[in-house]
Amino acid sequence: MSLALAVPLLLLLATCLVVVGPDRSLYERSKLAAYPIGAAFVGAIAILFIVVARGPITIRFYDPASIAALAFPIGFYIDRLSAVMMTLISGVSTVIYCYSMGYMYQDLHCRRYLALICFTEFILLCMVSSANLMMLFLFWQVLSYLLYLLAHNHAHAATLRGAFKTFTLLRVADAAFLAGIVLAHQLYGTLEFQDLFARSAGMPITLSLWPGMEISAATAITSLMFIGAMGKSAQFPLYIWLPGSLFAPTPVHALLHAGIINAGGFLINRLAPLFGLSSTTLHVAFVVGTLTAVLGATMMLAQNDIKKTLGFSTIGQMGYMIMECGLGAFSLAVFHLIAHGLFKATVFLNCGNVIHKARLEPGSPHADPRAEEQEFSRLTWFTGFTTTLLIPLLILLVTHGVLRIPLLESQGTVIFLFFIWVTSSQAILTLTRLRAVASWKVSAAMLLTLLFVVFIYLFAVESFTAFLYPNPDEVASYFQAAALPNWLFDGIVIMATVLTVLSWSYLYMRAHGQAMWVPGWVEGLRLRLYVLFMNRLYMDELYHALGRAVMRVVHRIDRRGARLSE
Amino acid sequence: MIDATTALWLLAAIPILGALLSLVVWSQPEKLKIWSISVTLVSLLAVIGTFGRMTVSAEGLLFIVLLPLAACVSLLGQPVHQDYRLAWVMTLLFLGLGLGILTSQHLVSQIALCMLLGLITFLLYRQHNPFWPTSRLGIGTFGIGTLCAVLSAIADPPISAVASLVACAILLPLVPFHDGYVTVLTRLPGSLPSFVVLLLPAIGLHNLAAVIQTAPDVVILMLTTLALVGALYGSVKALAQSRVRLILAYGSFSLLSILWWCVAASRTVTPQAAVFLGAVAIVTSGLLLAWQVVRTRYGDDVDPRAISGLASPMPQFAVLVSLLALAAMGLPPFGVFTGFMGLLFASSFTSPAALLVIVIAWLAASWYILEMVQQLLFGRRRWDLRYEDLRQSEFASLLIVVLIVIALGVAPASLFGMESQPSRAGAVKESVTWNR
Repeated sequence: MSLALAVPLLLLLATCLVVVGPDRSLYERSKLAAYPIGAAFVGAIAILFIVVARGPITIRFYDPASIAALAFPIGFYIDRLSAVMMTLISGVSTVIYCYSMGYMYQDLHCRRYLALICFTEFILLCMVSSANLMMLFLFWQVLSYLLYLLAHNHAHAATLRGAFKTFTLLRVADAAFLAGIVLAHQLYGTLEFQDLFARSAGMPITLSLWPGMEISAATAITSLMFIGAMGKSAQFPLYIWLPGSLFAPTPVHALLHAGIINAGGFLINRLAPLFGLSSTTLHVAFVVGTLTAVLGATMMLAQNDIKKTLGFSTIGQMGYMIMECGLGAFSLAVFHLIAHGLFKATVFLNCGNVIHKARLEPGSPHADPRAEEQEFSRLTWFTGFTTTLLIPLLILLVTHGVLRIPLLESQGTVIFLFFIWVTSSQAILTLTRLRAVASWKVSAAMLLTLLFVVFIYLFAVESFTAFLYPNPDEVASYFQAAALPNWLFDGIVIMATVLTVLSWSYLYMRAHGQAMWVPGWVEGLRLRLYVLFMNRLYMDELYHALGRAVMRVVHRIDRRGARLSE
Repeated sequence: MIDATTALWLLAAIPILGALLSLVVWSQPEKLKIWSISVTLVSLLAVIGTFGRMTVSAEGLLFIVLLPLAACVSLLGQPVHQDYRLAWVMTLLFLGLGLGILTSQHLVSQIALCMLLGLITFLLYRQHNPFWPTSRLGIGTFGIGTLCAVLSAIADPPISAVASLVACAILLPLVPFHDGYVTVLTRLPGSLPSFVVLLLPAIGLHNLAAVIQTAPDVVILMLTTLALVGALYGSVKALAQSRVRLILAYGSFSLLSILWWCVAASRTVTPQAAVFLGAVAIVTSGLLLAWQVVRTRYGDDVDPRAISGLASPMPQFAVLVSLLALAAMGLPPFGVFTGFMGLLFASSFTSPAALLVIVIAWLAASWYILEMVQQLLFGRRRWDLRYEDLRQSEFASLLIVVLIVIALGVAPASLFGMESQPSRAGAVKESVTWNR
């Protein structure tokens, strides 16, 4: 119990170490603060082991029966999900803090920055280990404001604009989350996770918004909470705060992209039994996630700035994660957020080096197209192409023939398999485009990648799902709730498969120097779409226009009020 | 040994006597300020000393403690200047009348209320400026308020009940009687706005507790509708303003309209309502005091957009104002958040529209408060301006305000009598009419 409390408190101690004391000893104190942060990581690992061995840890400093009377029901509930998140956050925090010490050395506001980093990590740990929805919301909101403060250079006009945009958009999502909490409390009389799940499952309620428009209480509550998750996880159309916050120091991005942005996925997983009661919300999540994944990835390809590229890549990945939740693959989403978090933190912390190296390269980033053509390798492309096409056959053979899984009746299994295929294709495609590398090495790397991806996914599907959700019936019920109509599901799978194969063919032919006949209007559309995605769908401009329209209405009302007063 | 009645009289008498005696040092502003602060502290000690003898409700007790504290910080945050002397003395007088209204019986309370409203009307008339035409509305509103207070004391029901309700709507601002509140916050001199921002709504809520229980359904429907309109209208007006005091006046009016809705919908004044009101008022008072700091340095009614980048040269000011802004935006761990959540959990939402409006009003606060604070604290520092961080008294006043708001947020619930609230496990069966 004391260890569970010590982990977040160690980060608070680190904050105090940085804040309290004279300027002359700041460097020494900030170095000293790294130890409690590291100790918190070790503690989080220990908690993970304890939770696995003995079950969830519950600590309450309040009486659950009178939660309505207490605004701060401080308590901790650490199950496997919380323990995994705590380990991820504290691990990434340790690396980010150590990196930040050097990165922000000699910055005028280094003390404030380091203290805020430690405090944000403390808030994150408290959030993922919250004992109830109220406490989770409490830390959720503080996180929104901390993101505003972490923009750091508030004297810079663009940074300030970005920070303001971040805060206001996150508050919109927070407001929906608040409405969801109030509704949950109103309908079920509790904000304790286990009680809420039990009551919502045992007490189906239908709400009548207006005559003829009825929805289930679970759908109403989860929809509102999903909007909250959409905000933090930068889902379409609430994603524009993420590219807008790119003026913040690089380690902040590492923390943001590895920890904070995962809050949406965590929330859905934490409330999985509640989300599992609403097929509508899961389907909405699937649509929003898919849209965000497609748009985020497309916009990423059209950006010309490394931070923006990485930012949109994160948006795409978050869309992917929410899409997985929408399909009922909750554990896969957690697995995804861990993998993405670690990967993106590394990439962000390294992006300064990349920029530095690029500046030293006279030819970079413009390569000679003629040289590229010469580096085309038939072997590489052939391996990539065939492995991509072979994987589905291989998977079908193994699952259907060897494991005897009835594919047509199990959308969940198909989802897992499909993700294996898509991820492998993506990895192999990336390798295929590395034309400068000797082709036999690339081919070998492709095969290894294929094996790696398959094994990792098998681990995610089997072991990690069983680890997070030990009850197979529970997992099955989520897939059941998220199940799409068969015709739609098959259509989506077939369409995605066809698109992937077509993309491969197109890229192959282009790389081979062969012209592919494309109608003129498609080429024109492609150019227009490129401009559209490069300008990030003009969403910033759209939001500005919306803001201006709101303010016009506000001023009109104000003038009328003033005229009446006179 | 003092009996309960004498103790209650003493609470009102100390500040009033202090106000009268302050005339002795009228010609010495510094001594007058010290005297006034001392009187508020003695009042606070008297309140603490008579705690056990008071028979007022838990929410009433909260205001009785908060009023001397608010008066103290309002006086503490003022610069020493002879122009503010009337405001200091009036602060003491208002404190005495306020404590009298909250602690005494019906007739005495009504007389004190008439005096208070009459004095405010007089002060507003004295401060009237033709360049601020809306202040006429404020004077008119408080004139009506005085009349209603008199009527509620002498007339028979239902006239007295209606008059009392109108007086409540003027004190605890409700559309269309909110102009009085806005004028008071923007036109009264010196320490008065930062004090009356708590005093008037506290008295309004105290009186409302008695009236609301017997109000007919049609009145309740009207009140809840007006409250929702007020919450939206206040937010819209706050968003449209560029003057800080107007932003704060309309912003707090919007939040207090939410309180009106909750009280009217449940026909009862819960301890959560008192915490919410206390927190909103104290935070607004703190922000008014913070604005007074800027006015002292850069002139009256200065445009906040003209002064930016205070965070770097005035770190103490920046930290305290940021904390107050956080509280005003309804973020944890401050009292506004605690009270707001308590209010929402204790209310029954019979229609999603009410919840939607309340959430929008709450959301809008984040917009206009952050914009205001951002304009002041952040942005490029101006090198042509002289910066001076908080003086000791200013620092003390803002720090006390921040501590009060935190205390309201984190204090044990039993302190405000909230523990007796039952768990709403059966809420669905009782109150939600928009579900089947």
